[in-house]
Amino acid sequence: MKSLRYIIILFLAITGMYSCTERIDIPLDDSDVRLVVDGAITTDTSVQTVILSSTSSYYYNQLTPRVSGAQVSITDGSQTFALSEVEAGKYCTDAGVFGVPGRTYTLNIKLGSPIGGTTDYSAVSTLYPVVPLDSIALLFHPDWSEKGIWEVKCYVQEPPSVDFYRFLVLRNNVILTDSIDEWFVTDDKFFNGNYTNGATVAYLQQGTPQEGLNTGDTVTVEVNSIGKGYANFLWEAQAELRGSNPLFSGPPANVKGNITNGAVGYFAAYSTTRAYTLTPVFK
Amino acid sequence: MKKYLILILVSIVLLCQSNSLAGENITTQGKFTLSGYVRDALNGEMLVGVTVYCPEIKTGAVTNVYGFYSLSLAPGKYALRYSYIGFNPVEKEINLDKNITLDINLQPVESVLGEVVIIGKRTDENVRAPEMSMVKLDIKTISKVPALLGEIDVVKVLQLLPGVQSTSEGSTGFSVRGGNSDQNLILLDEATIHNASHLIGFFSVFNNDAVKDVTLYKGDIPAAYGGRLSSLLDVRMKDGNAKKLGFTGSIGTVSSKLTIEGPIIKDRTTFLVSGRRTYADLFLPFAKDEDVRDNKLYFYDLNLKLSHVVNENDRLYLSGYSGRDTFKNQFASMGFGNSTGSFRWNHLFSKKLFFNLSLIYSNYNYELGTPEGDANSFKWTSRMRDYSARFDFTSYLSGKHTLRYGGTSMYHEFFPGTAYGLGSESAFNEFILPKQHALEHSLYASDEFKASQKLTLKYGLRLALFQNIGPGTYYSFDSNYEPVDSTVYGKGDIFNTYLSLEPRLAFTYLLSEVSSVKGSYSHTAQFLTLAQNSTAGTPLDIWFPATPNVKPQLCDQGSLGYFRNFEQNMFEVSLEGYYKYFRQVIDFRDHAQLLLNPYLEGELRIGTGYSYGIESMVRKNSGRLTGWVSYTYSRSFREIPEINDGNRYNAPYDKPHALNVVVNYDFSKRISASATWVYATGLPVTFPTGRAVIGNAIIPIYSNRNAYRMPDYHRLDVSVTLKGKEKPGKRWHGEWNLSVYNVYNRHNAWAINFTQDPQNPNVTYAEKTYLFAVVPAITYNFKF
Repeated sequence: MKSLRYIIILFLAITGMYSCTERIDIPLDDSDVRLVVDGAITTDTSVQTVILSSTSSYYYNQLTPRVSGAQVSITDGSQTFALSEVEAGKYCTDAGVFGVPGRTYTLNIKLGSPIGGTTDYSAVSTLYPVVPLDSIALLFHPDWSEKGIWEVKCYVQEPPSVDFYRFLVLRNNVILTDSIDEWFVTDDKFFNGNYTNGATVAYLQQGTPQEGLNTGDTVTVEVNSIGKGYANFLWEAQAELRGSNPLFSGPPANVKGNITNGAVGYFAAYSTTRAYTLTPVFK
Repeated sequence: MKKYLILILVSIVLLCQSNSLAGENITTQGKFTLSGYVRDALNGEMLVGVTVYCPEIKTGAVTNVYGFYSLSLAPGKYALRYSYIGFNPVEKEINLDKNITLDINLQPVESVLGEVVIIGKRTDENVRAPEMSMVKLDIKTISKVPALLGEIDVVKVLQLLPGVQSTSEGSTGFSVRGGNSDQNLILLDEATIHNASHLIGFFSVFNNDAVKDVTLYKGDIPAAYGGRLSSLLDVRMKDGNAKKLGFTGSIGTVSSKLTIEGPIIKDRTTFLVSGRRTYADLFLPFAKDEDVRDNKLYFYDLNLKLSHVVNENDRLYLSGYSGRDTFKNQFASMGFGNSTGSFRWNHLFSKKLFFNLSLIYSNYNYELGTPEGDANSFKWTSRMRDYSARFDFTSYLSGKHTLRYGGTSMYHEFFPGTAYGLGSESAFNEFILPKQHALEHSLYASDEFKASQKLTLKYGLRLALFQNIGPGTYYSFDSNYEPVDSTVYGKGDIFNTYLSLEPRLAFTYLLSEVSSVKGSYSHTAQFLTLAQNSTAGTPLDIWFPATPNVKPQLCDQGSLGYFRNFEQNMFEVSLEGYYKYFRQVIDFRDHAQLLLNPYLEGELRIGTGYSYGIESMVRKNSGRLTGWVSYTYSRSFREIPEINDGNRYNAPYDKPHALNVVVNYDFSKRISASATWVYATGLPVTFPTGRAVIGNAIIPIYSNRNAYRMPDYHRLDVSVTLKGKEKPGKRWHGEWNLSVYNVYNRHNAWAINFTQDPQNPNVTYAEKTYLFAVVPAITYNFKF
């Protein structure tokens, strides 16, 4: 619920009137090395990718080691797609492979050498259909923050089923929200079955080069219908990435994925739909 | 079973009672009764906990919360001594040849300060009182302690006592002996305060100008009270000046206060009205950040009290409290607050049988929302309400037995949350969490028995009955805590009952005139829990009742202590050890969703816990230098099968070491200075011990729950009070208070987060957030 974030911001603004931050030296122990899986199958007709890596100490301060030499495949029960390693730890299907809504996909991984005492890992995900977006709109708030903020609004008839969505925003076909903590992930608890008459799915800071828009820029919203498991995974990851405070945060906890044998990460299956609009003349 | 237990309780009471009800002038075993009220001579306020002591026969009594005492003695001549902290003792000789009513006025000690270095003699209550694990603070002690932003706060002073810890920097939330902050029963003139904090916990709801007396029971909770595991905080409001109209007020850095009190009918009817409002938002227009300027941010408190003496035997009290916080900015607004009311009737059936009847109302609610006219516009409200009645008898049977018994009945209403869209533009459905209702009843009886001159026993029994009552919707859950079914109950359907039998036992054994050993055992049950997973919490946290899915939390506590006074009671020393064992203790699953979640009960995980500790304190109550030093060693653990892989972990408020130093020095009649220094081990926390890269994000891999600690906490505060010159006949009394919080600018960690370096996203580092650097404040207090 986006609005809850306002409330949190409001509270933190109050503490912010008094608070300051500074770096602090905290020595940390290392936990056991585990396999990390980051993969998905989508309805886009393209290459489906799975990235394998391993965990490292928290202050490793480099990219974590990729895991090479594994046999990776995705199956829907009748068809199996083999993934080949195109660069260290990055495993891809051939071009033209895509997921079909309603099917359940299984990812199978067999490592060349064991991590955490095992070489075999798997994960299962069901692909849910998505309702096409009617349209999207941009609303400029010149008085919000110094240079103004764009509100990205979305119009769609939400179906009566229990659904979970992820929203991504692209500017001139380049993704602006390229990290988990920037994604807008929501369930339909508060608007199930309604026509979302311009519900906000993103805010863009006009003042920043990363998010600012020029007249005529194409803004695209991509919606993914994701399963409950993946939504929970993303929410939990976002909660950990956004930091904690003694007001709202419970004890930090590991993000629960869907990979067997203690591996970290998620193998997701989701469908995709897009709508775009052009940036109007403003100011 | 239930009926049988009630029968036992009733028969205990009746057995002990039968001879005392016999009549006023017929004496038991040839004894006469001395009874009356003890007041403050200056303003007529009833004094609570005044010791009435007869040294010849080493027997005595203590005034109750309404200032009443009663003592039955064999006929004869006695020298009696009335003593109370901060007041000059009064000695009376009486000839007890009939029942005597003797009301006493005590003079506050302050009027002689300056000329005399040692101010009167301190009572030996520390050693002799049959209570242990209990602290009483009078408002004078409280107001001398340096305060954050100059806002003197009852709860913050309690946090300086052994066994009491603040839950977070600057917070008025407190943990008693390792328990959670929701395990404290907080009463204001008997009405439950469900959220005792203002702002985001920086101030408590208690306006010290309206407060007479504060008592905290850390164990050994009297049988008259229950429903919480860890403590009872009993706050009593002033009755109002019975002698003359008076004004008290202050103008401070963040708030101003004004109290008006006085007699309506002299010595019979008094009133008190006290208000406080903060004005932090008045300075916001000067803020550098434009977004902050339009914010609204304030809270207020309003306390009201009416007291009326009907006749010698009847007194009536009406108390009310209302307080509210308001935050508002251009995106969202929020308001929350408590309102309570209590009506009480004191009646003396005889000089030996004191009766009180209370009717109590308590409400806590909040609402928040965003402005209308947008697809995201919404409003969200939540409310909790209690209606209760209680009656209490105190029967002063003889010099040896004081019997207390009574009962309570309470109706709880929980409206955990309703959220709905605002205006025609809004896309939100109405979202209503099911309402819940419950009944909580109790019967209790306890006896304070002076078995010999050295041994006092207190034993009691509390029978508590908790019932879920319709209308309501209840969900049942499968073994994975997923909701599987719901049941709707109609109005008045009682569909679940919990019964709890709670023994309370305590003894005090005088080793000598100046030392004693005390011990106590209590069993308590808690039927309501606060859905709070963070250490400090927010006003949005809601209370939820025990239900068929959620069993009541239980606690057994045993304490043993040694008490000794030195130098004619100038120094009090206490050493107490305790052990607590919790059953059916509630914690929350990882990543629990506690707000607007109809399946909240599915987020709970149940297990056991235990705490133990040793508390030591040296206190000096008289002389130019007063104050205390306390050191506590304590631990608190939990073991819950589905949390931390079933391994034992540190409870959220486990702080092994805590040291508090509180000193006040009176330089002269007009100038005094105070300082406090606190030290405590950092709270347990969970830190990352590994990283996984997913997408572009570094996802932390965590240690076991609460395996690490925040850095140690320590802080020094000082204050100086300058009083205006006293002249005979001068009505206006003013004083300046200058305080500095966190004198040596310790950056105590409020939160520690691990973040990615914006320059190099592969680099992560720890960053602490601290709230208060050095905070000076100035307050002007006045009285006329």
